[in-house]
Amino acid sequence: MERLIIVVAVLPLISALFIQLFAGRFGRSIARLSVAMTTLSFLLSGLLLALAISGSETLAIPLGSSVAVLLFDPLSTLLATIILGISLIVHLYSVRYMAEEAGYGQFFVLLDMMTAALLFMVIAGDLITLVISWYLVGVILYFLLGQDTRSQTAYRFAFWTLITYRLGDLPLILAAALLFNAYDTWSLTIIFSEVMANPNAHQVLGLPLTDVVAGLIGLAAFARSAQFLLHTWLPYTMDGPTPVSALMHAGIVNAGGFLINRFAPVFIHSSEVLHWIFIVGLITAIFGSLLMLTQNDIKKALGYSTMGQMGFMIMECGIGAFSLAIYHMFAHGVFKGTMFLSAGGVINHAREDDGIPKDELYTFAVEKRPNKVTHPWLLMAAVTLVVPLVILVFAHLLVSEDYFQKQGAIVLLFFGWVTGAQLIFASYKMRSQNVWRLVGLSILSLLIVVLGYVFISHAFDQFLYPDAAFRAQLYSAANIDSLSFDVLVVIVTLIIVSGWGITYFSEQHGHRRVQKSKRLWLNFYALISREFYVSDVYTRLSRTLLTMSSRLNVWLRWL
Amino acid sequence: MSDLLNILLVGIFLPLFPMSMVFNAILENIKPSGLRVIVFMLWPLIGLLIALNSDLVIPDWLLPLALSTSLLYAIRMLTLREVNQWTGFLATSIWSLLWLPVIEGDSAELLYSFAIGMSVPLVLLVLLAAGLERRFGAAYTGLYGGLARTIPRYAGVLVTVVIAAVATPLFPTFFFMLDMVVETISSTPSAALALLLIWLFWSWAGARLIQGLIVGRASNNKIADMKVTSISFYSIVLVVLMLGGIYLAGAIL
Repeated sequence: MERLIIVVAVLPLISALFIQLFAGRFGRSIARLSVAMTTLSFLLSGLLLALAISGSETLAIPLGSSVAVLLFDPLSTLLATIILGISLIVHLYSVRYMAEEAGYGQFFVLLDMMTAALLFMVIAGDLITLVISWYLVGVILYFLLGQDTRSQTAYRFAFWTLITYRLGDLPLILAAALLFNAYDTWSLTIIFSEVMANPNAHQVLGLPLTDVVAGLIGLAAFARSAQFLLHTWLPYTMDGPTPVSALMHAGIVNAGGFLINRFAPVFIHSSEVLHWIFIVGLITAIFGSLLMLTQNDIKKALGYSTMGQMGFMIMECGIGAFSLAIYHMFAHGVFKGTMFLSAGGVINHAREDDGIPKDELYTFAVEKRPNKVTHPWLLMAAVTLVVPLVILVFAHLLVSEDYFQKQGAIVLLFFGWVTGAQLIFASYKMRSQNVWRLVGLSILSLLIVVLGYVFISHAFDQFLYPDAAFRAQLYSAANIDSLSFDVLVVIVTLIIVSGWGITYFSEQHGHRRVQKSKRLWLNFYALISREFYVSDVYTRLSRTLLTMSSRLNVWLRWL
Repeated sequence: MSDLLNILLVGIFLPLFPMSMVFNAILENIKPSGLRVIVFMLWPLIGLLIALNSDLVIPDWLLPLALSTSLLYAIRMLTLREVNQWTGFLATSIWSLLWLPVIEGDSAELLYSFAIGMSVPLVLLVLLAAGLERRFGAAYTGLYGGLARTIPRYAGVLVTVVIAAVATPLFPTFFFMLDMVVETISSTPSAALALLLIWLFWSWAGARLIQGLIVGRASNNKIADMKVTSISFYSIVLVVLMLGGIYLAGAIL
């Protein structure tokens, strides 16, 4: 039964081949074949997922006598089902959405090839299949983004994506070559079992092999998941068709999280790499969110929002919460896919009627007219700070008593606490006849979200990493020494609480900014509006390289 | 002395800078596409034949020179707009890397397989460039563009051939590059890094070539698209190449 995973991956390929050969004969109705094949593949993957949930053993399935191996395990079955679910929605949406576009058949060929490449990527049981599928995802995405072959702009930004993805391929290829040289096999299961048995058996340039490979895998993941400095392609690739944007933001961009999860046994035995991953994720989350808030182009704002979310996902890996990153990937995929696919409908509807109710939320969020706070501040502060903490601690105690022994878990709790407190803090300032009702509703929604999040992520944890000792190792690999951790917690708490204090104080006493701070603020805004000059630097660098290439050709007389 | 002369001679066929300029000068003076096809098929094979039958003593500086030659032509490809010249530079960049398996002492059979597998996409590109010259008077990027709309079948084949030429999976050049990275990573990590950089520049140049030819509005003139028989020919060759790539992977990885 587990061998059905081969059929799951091959069905989209068969569909692509059939459409390529017979699109001329069957016309636009050929899209139905693509939808049917994806549906069948999705149902089969669902069946395999059920099998994995019921406790079927991990199985490496060789493809004939080649080195290629497919892997039936919780991670591959779960991600195959998610990929096929999103792909099916995108297929269904595209049947009508792309009907007026040229290259209709070709679009479905590419869509099926992309689905197949993603499937082979997540179920690859050997390094060769993984490298090939990882590489092909970038190439196919380039052509999907350039579906409109009239648009120079679409191709320009598709090229940015391609070159960033190719940059991300290189560390993965290096990591694969190093692992093959060390263990003389391409099989991931054999490599991982040998790494677990003797993690310090090999060295590269005087460094432990596990550290070097984990670092390279991290770099590959950063390029694929648009981490800071490798992010510029993401907000600009909106000229591609909407279904491609949905597929990209809901699925493809998450590949970094998958890759880190796949190499979890290597990360367990790497010393500092997870800390670096956390820092890169944190920087990406901050910069992505900051840039999202300052965009006046909604599509770019969505792009930066995805960047911020990818930062959070990578951060979760950095604190050892690997399975949470997969849950985040799934939740964000569904959320962002829905946003992209419904965007056209919303714009159409808004043209007829803006439909914005002039209610409390509108006056607060859009008109930016907060309510003057008149409630006892001590009570408000207590509710703001204590209630989210109680909810979070209570929810986490329900799933695991030793939860608070893990530093990664404390970081997540801290993050949840800050977010929850921010939500309640904001709700005081909304214009409402009954502010306590509003606060009550906010707390209720926080409670539902936290309970849902905690239980589902716990279920993901149990499913993806059933071995409790392995889960504990993941968290401990991300640990830092207790003193540094406690100092960091205190510093970050002080920064956040003083931020709240400053906000509260300035709203109580009006916005009186001196000229100097205003100028500083404007400079900061200019920096953000130029997106920290990252794209400008890359453009300058590539122009320099092209000029050099051109001069070399002239000097060497084109020979 | 005779060793050095031998290397200089082989360096014309398995290009080493500045002898690599000989191939590109010859190519520029060959106009008939049939003759070009023969040159592209035979050139690296002649180099391998001489190299394998002359008991070469490989000096230490050869590996850096071969890699530098490949890198130089990969960088120079970025700004080339004439398709024949582009193909010549790509050939120079690819064939100079054949020195690596020669240095590693790979079998003659494998070396010839590499050379043929990597040269066939270049031959197809030469034929396609000739087709463009017949239709538009020149095979030049950025000059007319819009091939995807004007002659979509031709554009589809052209894109696939370029992809095959710049070492994309599952074509032979991809497995050659992967094998070379694996072979060099432990002994000379800097060579592995250079290989990856060269590979990146090939992709960059390939994307620029594709964009310069296929993107844009359709031409107002009626241009004949590729015939079904020609598409079948190219498709069969590409499928055979891909299968050859997979077979090669089985042999080397």
